[in-house]
Amino acid sequence: MSDSLNILDIKNLTIEYSSDDDVVKAVNNVNIVISKGKTLGLVGETGAGKTTTALSILNLVPEPQGKIISGEVFLAGEDVLSMKEKRLLEVRGDKVAMIFQDPMTSLNPIKTVGEQIAEGIRIHSKLNKKDAAVKAREMLELVGIPGDRILEYPHQFSGGMKQRVVIAIALACKPDLLIADEPTTALDVTIQAQVLKLINELKQSYDMSMLMITHDLGIVAEVCDEVSIMYAGRIIEHGSLEDIFDNKMHPYTKGLFDSLPNIEDRRSELKPIKGLMPDPTNLPSGCAFHPRCDYARPECSVEQPKGKKISDSHYIECHLYNETTENKLGGTNE
Amino acid sequence: MAETPEVKTYSTKKDFMKKFKKKSRFMELWYRFLKNKPAVIGLILFITIVLLAICAPLIADYNEVAIKIDMGNRFNPPFTDNLLGTDEFGRDIFARIVHGARISLTIGISAITVSFLLGGALGSIAGFFGGRFDGWIMRAMDVFLCLPDMLLAIAIVAAFGVSTLNITLAIGLAFTPRMSRVVRAAVMSVRGNEYVEAARCIGARNGRIITRHVLINCVGPIIVQITLYVANAILTISALSFIGLGIEIPTPEWGNMLAEGRAAMRQYPHLVIAPGLAIFFTILSLNLLGDGLRDTLDPRLKQ
Repeated sequence: MSDSLNILDIKNLTIEYSSDDDVVKAVNNVNIVISKGKTLGLVGETGAGKTTTALSILNLVPEPQGKIISGEVFLAGEDVLSMKEKRLLEVRGDKVAMIFQDPMTSLNPIKTVGEQIAEGIRIHSKLNKKDAAVKAREMLELVGIPGDRILEYPHQFSGGMKQRVVIAIALACKPDLLIADEPTTALDVTIQAQVLKLINELKQSYDMSMLMITHDLGIVAEVCDEVSIMYAGRIIEHGSLEDIFDNKMHPYTKGLFDSLPNIEDRRSELKPIKGLMPDPTNLPSGCAFHPRCDYARPECSVEQPKGKKISDSHYIECHLYNETTENKLGGTNE
Repeated sequence: MAETPEVKTYSTKKDFMKKFKKKSRFMELWYRFLKNKPAVIGLILFITIVLLAICAPLIADYNEVAIKIDMGNRFNPPFTDNLLGTDEFGRDIFARIVHGARISLTIGISAITVSFLLGGALGSIAGFFGGRFDGWIMRAMDVFLCLPDMLLAIAIVAAFGVSTLNITLAIGLAFTPRMSRVVRAAVMSVRGNEYVEAARCIGARNGRIITRHVLINCVGPIIVQITLYVANAILTISALSFIGLGIEIPTPEWGNMLAEGRAAMRQYPHLVIAPGLAIFFTILSLNLLGDGLRDTLDPRLKQ
């Protein structure tokens, strides 16, 4: 049913979190497709539902608060959400691996980094302890850390080094899909560049697909082939790198780009998007972005915009494009 | 203190493989432990007590010295013919103390092992899975917690009869609710960490996550409690023996020695001071050891 070239195919995914009396619609009707060897950037503000979407790929949405209401997640043609627990354990780590946001907390503090890299290897392959240790050492060297440091504990590494270790753990089983959940957010800028370069190189040499979750458009430009912009649990614009960077059509996407400082014109002021992310327990009617939108029209507050294909690669959810496929944002694109 | 370079550099692959084994880790922990002076004192004290207990038959014959009544040598003061003097039946107190250590230590440690296996399993299931498991298990534990553990132990021993096995099980069961609470609390503080989530993401099973990632990070608080509970269990055995429900006379046990010595305590204080000090030093050594182990096993506290 799903194209065999697609490593990941998420269809109409809806996830809710419920607390005592509130229901948070974290993910609403999201569709994501990643084909083999490609990288998709999932961009959005904090709380837009990026991480929840990623966790659903591993069927690890925290229960019982989180609940997958509807949708399907196909991983190389297999539906993750209907998998048996045993098969899930095989898939996690082996087919899909995840790099977490904060390397300070995603490593077990009282196990050596070698043991932690070897653990995944030993779960998914029949290697004995010794061979797994040798493999772990190779992985450590692959991410640019001297193999001798395999016996050290996480606290003996710097933040950037820890993130390299996390990458080594994720790649130890050569997954088909790597989910990187803001892998550089906790790192400083120089280290960010190194880590990104490393991820990019390894991705190419391992021929992996990648889901890069971030809120940094600079990272997107560097590593991604396609971009999905997420707002309040919906993907409001999706396209190739060129579509999004050179022909952005959604007012929110434009707002994101306008919030970046302009290096060429240093006197120009930043133009942040006015207002705040809406309260997820009480989303605005119609298009969730309309209270903050400069282009809002009367129908925006009433009706949820339908998705529309502008071109083969470019998809958008906005009332501005109900009748036309021309860019309505007034040629502000540089 | 600066770390010695030879611990860190592994020049050849063979050398490295040698170091990767558990031994190197153990040695590293051992060096770290040695830097902790009170812990070393506790360890030496504890080893001494254990050695005395193991070598008890070599120090004094059980039948000929420890329990043989010799009315000609009653109430000998300490530091004469007998190192710690003799009791009202003329038995050598030192011999009785070292033989008593065997009983106290064996029962104390095995009782806490029982309570750790039971309470640890219940506590980690309750803490890790939460929700309904947590509710049912902990409410059941709360019911047992309502009974003072001494009373519970007395009830079990009274119901099933006085024997070493029954005393061990009684004390083990009496300590299970407390142990499960300690383990549960420790597990709950650890289970939300991102590395637990990360372990799930690499496909680790729940059992593996609990033992390899969660419990191992709870070692600190648990080990401290275990050593304290062993000390407590030894006290409980002594207390049971003191009231006549524990180890039966004439088998030497610190508690029943105290009970026996109580009558002549005013004239011959060494009758109660000797077993009292034995209990005191055993418990002190366990507490020092527990604190030291916690500091050693947690690399974050490493300087």
